[in-house]
Amino acid sequence: MLKIKSLVSGYGSVQILNGANMKVDNQSIVALLGGNGTGKSTILKACSGIIRTWKGNINFNGEDIQNLPPHKIVEKGLVQVTQGKDVFPAMTVLENLRLGGFTLKSKQILNDNIEKVFNYFPRLNERKSQLAATLSGGELQMLCIGRGLMSNPKMIMLDEPSAALAPQIVLDIFKNINKIRKDGLTVLVVEQNVRMALLLADYGYVIKDGVINVEGESKKLMYDESVKDSYLGGGGTTANV
Amino acid sequence: MFKGFKFTRKIENTLMLIFTFIFLGYISMSPDMNLESLKGVLIIGITVGIIYGLVAVGISLIYTGLDVVNFSHGEFFMLGAFTGLTVYNFLIDGELIYAIFPDAYGWVGYVIGLFFAFVIMGLFGVLIERVFLRPLTKKGGGYTVAGMGIIICGFGLSVVLLNLAYIIWNPTAHPFHADLGLPINIGGVTLPMTYLWMLVTGFTVAGALYFFLNKTKMGLGVRAVAHSKVISNLVGINVPLYISIIFGIACALAGLAGTLVGPTYQVVVYMGYIILLKAFASAVVGGFGSLPGAIVGGFTVGLFETSCAFFISGSHKDAYAFLLMIVVLLIKPTGFFGVQVKMKA
Repeated sequence: MLKIKSLVSGYGSVQILNGANMKVDNQSIVALLGGNGTGKSTILKACSGIIRTWKGNINFNGEDIQNLPPHKIVEKGLVQVTQGKDVFPAMTVLENLRLGGFTLKSKQILNDNIEKVFNYFPRLNERKSQLAATLSGGELQMLCIGRGLMSNPKMIMLDEPSAALAPQIVLDIFKNINKIRKDGLTVLVVEQNVRMALLLADYGYVIKDGVINVEGESKKLMYDESVKDSYLGGGGTTANV
Repeated sequence: MFKGFKFTRKIENTLMLIFTFIFLGYISMSPDMNLESLKGVLIIGITVGIIYGLVAVGISLIYTGLDVVNFSHGEFFMLGAFTGLTVYNFLIDGELIYAIFPDAYGWVGYVIGLFFAFVIMGLFGVLIERVFLRPLTKKGGGYTVAGMGIIICGFGLSVVLLNLAYIIWNPTAHPFHADLGLPINIGGVTLPMTYLWMLVTGFTVAGALYFFLNKTKMGLGVRAVAHSKVISNLVGINVPLYISIIFGIACALAGLAGTLVGPTYQVVVYMGYIILLKAFASAVVGGFGSLPGAIVGGFTVGLFETSCAFFISGSHKDAYAFLLMIVVLLIKPTGFFGVQVKMKA
């Protein structure tokens, strides 16, 4: 579904990615792992068109999408959910969700999708007329994922859905991500929480210094020593579990 | 002595209240004070206020959307007034309107003038944004070097537009004889029809803007882009298009305000400069970047200015708006509806 070939990109004149190669199969969950500042989020940003692709090729569903304007990429069905629970705090939960479905033409589909999101995350239904600023951390993450689902995407890219959340909530969110995959979506999840991500995913990539260092089936990666080495100190693998 | 003293919101509000009481007490001692004049000041103040509010809303919209203060906004006000005047004269003096509607009144031409000022200034604003500001906003606005560039560009644009108007309409004052009918009497106050038009149109447009921003899909997009361009991109909003829309709406509002003010004074090339500063003061008083704040700030400045001009001294009329701005900045730096800090990288 998504093929990234020797991707080179960065911010300003600072090069972060030095030719990363990745492949995400249809209806799979793929984990992209790595330490701080290795270029995980940069790959996502290049895919969603927020930053320019300098060299290389991003292919989504048979079409080249590198350097398209971001809203065109959303229309093609590739949606990124940002890190850090970025919502519109001065708008209600419902308005936030409506914005997620901005590319939809029909009001009927919009309302259906809102129902769908409330099925995944019933907590949002209880809070639907509240301002997003009043939500808790877990609810904000649910709102972000829900907003990403609103535009009927084919594939969703999650940037650290477990960051700064209690383990119980992380488990709940990961269960829902699995449910989303079962309903026919493809998921690419960027994580620092290695064990949780590998338990969830079918396939994993470990990125180091802007290139893919290790890749493989997630069950194999779980016991791979070189994964530990990709992290500074290696202790990161057991954190948060 | 003041160690540990915190300037909390409560103290700010108390001080504002004290200032208000001192001011009201001072003007109530004026020899001109009576119910009649108070009513007059109230109506005129609100009328002037809604005009300041409309221009200030534009400034706030551009500030939230493009992350810069638009210093050429007064010129769009002036060009709007000239557009309205030209369209009106073309229709009425050319007797064109009577050729189409034999029984037409002056206000039909005026409404068409208002409409054209709104639409033409909106399109002109989009053009200016696309051609001159887009290359700069691409590199980032706000506190970046490019953001500084846009501000300087705004000053330059102001001079260029001023001279453009100078060439087209020459520097003499143009009287705007809008034939709107005789003054009417509202509760004992004789109000010229031009003021009634300002009042009614101003409130209608402000209401329409509120409806547009809160109830329509495009308005939702505008609010989203104003808050964060990155998230707007990720939910599939065409951000460059919406920045143009924001700039266009702001300029259209300024143009409409220009045609509304035109008949009360004269239409001059230099009229944009003072309205820019007063709208700026209104936006600051209401809280910079807040749209309801801009309208409320407009009312506050309009009422303060009119009552000072009437009860204290009319010869310093233009100074009072800035006096109020300084007082508000001293006592309540965030304005009425402002937020503490707006961090943008």
